[in-house]
Amino acid sequence: MPREKGLPDDLELARDILDQQVVDREETKMGRVDGLVLELREGRPPRIDHIEMGAVVLARRLSPRLERWVDGWRRRFGVRKVARYKAPWSAVLELTSYHLKLDVAALDTPTFDWERWLRDHVIQHIPRPLKGHGEKEEKQE
Amino acid sequence: MKTVHFELLLGRKVHDPKGRRVGRILEVHAGPEGEDCVVREYLLGTAALLTRLGISAGRLVGLPLHREPVRVPWDLMDISDPERPRLRCSVEELKRGK
Amino acid sequence: MKKAATLALGILTSVGGFFDVGNLATAAQAGGVFRLQLLWPLLLGTILVIFLIEMSGRFAAVTRQALPDAIRTHLGFAAWLGPFLILSLVHFLVLGAEIGGICFALHLVTGLPVPFWALPVAALTWLFLWRTSFSAIENSTSLLGLITLAFVVAAWQHRPPTSQILAGMLPTLPHHDPARYWFIAVSLLGAVITPYMLYFYSSGAVEDKWDESYIGVNRGVSVIGMGFGSLISVGAIVVAAVVLAPRGIQADDYHQAALVLTTAFPFWGFVLFAAAMGIACLGAATEVALSMAYTTAQTYGWNWGEDLDPREDARFCLVYTGAILASSLLILFGVDPLKLTLLTMAVNAAVLPFVAIPFLLLMNDRKLLKEHCNGWISNAVTLLVVVLSIVLAVVSIPLLIRGGS
Repeated sequence: MPREKGLPDDLELARDILDQQVVDREETKMGRVDGLVLELREGRPPRIDHIEMGAVVLARRLSPRLERWVDGWRRRFGVRKVARYKAPWSAVLELTSYHLKLDVAALDTPTFDWERWLRDHVIQHIPRPLKGHGEKEEKQE
Repeated sequence: MKTVHFELLLGRKVHDPKGRRVGRILEVHAGPEGEDCVVREYLLGTAALLTRLGISAGRLVGLPLHREPVRVPWDLMDISDPERPRLRCSVEELKRGK
Repeated sequence: MKKAATLALGILTSVGGFFDVGNLATAAQAGGVFRLQLLWPLLLGTILVIFLIEMSGRFAAVTRQALPDAIRTHLGFAAWLGPFLILSLVHFLVLGAEIGGICFALHLVTGLPVPFWALPVAALTWLFLWRTSFSAIENSTSLLGLITLAFVVAAWQHRPPTSQILAGMLPTLPHHDPARYWFIAVSLLGAVITPYMLYFYSSGAVEDKWDESYIGVNRGVSVIGMGFGSLISVGAIVVAAVVLAPRGIQADDYHQAALVLTTAFPFWGFVLFAAAMGIACLGAATEVALSMAYTTAQTYGWNWGEDLDPREDARFCLVYTGAILASSLLILFGVDPLKLTLLTMAVNAAVLPFVAIPFLLLMNDRKLLKEHCNGWISNAVTLLVVVLSIVLAVVSIPLLIRGGS
């Protein structure tokens, strides 16, 4: 079966997907796979529906109470409007031993809400060094 | 659509219909089926942790930790309640099925 | 040819970057109180750290992943959470100790009190990280850090008896003050096998874009770099033993430690000490702050890298900024820098199990490392570190209470 997407034929969910580094089309780091949701189907094997990213997802893995606390904090003081970022499995372009690539642009997703906020409210006001990729920031504007 | 969070399923104890403990879910194998990626089998038991890390026992200076993990095909596991995953057949039937 | 240059630079930066406030404080105490008797923890620690650093570099070169990244990815969040929280605490304490060291050096040359310098030093360290690329930071502080070779030169000038040095390299029981003896022994180990160094080294290898071809360079850097670097600590213990101990000075205060170079360099000794301490601690402070940022960013999968423009990795920058500010408050509010350092070094030793165990698991992962997996020697050494560190963890807590004074 020809594979256009870079997905291996034999996957281990805990080892290869969960906690894996997530990157966007340009290989910019977005976060990690904090959660993985399976769809249960009658008479057919469960299928991977989507991956989830977010502090509340991570908190839930430790305890439901912690999840509520983290979500409460986000509502009151946080910058993210959406607690869980859900990326459908169909958006996965590639899965290697060191990253999972999504067919999105990081800046368009809630995962970059904090980065954007810090950039607009803090970093804008501090004189910046001349290191890094100057052309890249213009492309993203 | 009924969904289950895999990360909450991981590490849970699995019991058979008679209530006996079979092991813990430590890994799930999956593979492509058309456009989807579907679950093929579940790996249970403590040995599965080492398998997950890809370590062979010999490398860990002779520690006798490597035991074949219990493999459960997808249709023999009921994961509709992630806190109480259940084997659909008994432990003996599973072992015989190998 | 390029590899040879990298090797040479790597060795120089390892030697120059080896000595920090932890090595200084523990060496001064060891030499001042027990003369040359406590050379063996230094030797033991050096051998162990050479293996650990080599593994850390090999891992990063083969997998192109830094350790915190790899631990969360391959062992899972639940397994990483405990070590991560503990490491963050350790980073915080060590950073405070290093900032304290820079402040003290400035206090020595200006006379202004140590807490006065806390915020200016924090600002300086932050500015350095904000404006400079990774290699520029590494190379500048570590090459300047070669000034710490002054301790070796001074030790040489004192012509200490070789027989005593060799005797000190073998473990012996103390003749007096056993609680303090073992506390300093544990702290010496913690000063050499610093957890942050392992994580920093692997992240640095990724920043420098090492690949499998750098395995040889890595080996050279770890053996020669760490080996020669530890000679500086030996030099510091020797000068403390020769200068302080006969006068009954026990280096309970950095002011006392500052006297060590004054016999060998009568005119410049004081200033040289301040310069060595200040530069060494500044280099270490930038490394610890970066290490904290690397570890946090990699844990949550954020963008990271000292060579990136801050606009691209704002959260990464926020972590090192917050870390520097928070730990400088320790010095601002008058925590004694020497006591903080000694406490932190003992804590370093105590938390080694959390570092060594995940490390051991990863270094044996055939799927990740393929043929570069640990051989039995590396495994044996790591297991030794795990066992030793568990013993130290159990032993150091009562020692901290009794011997730390």
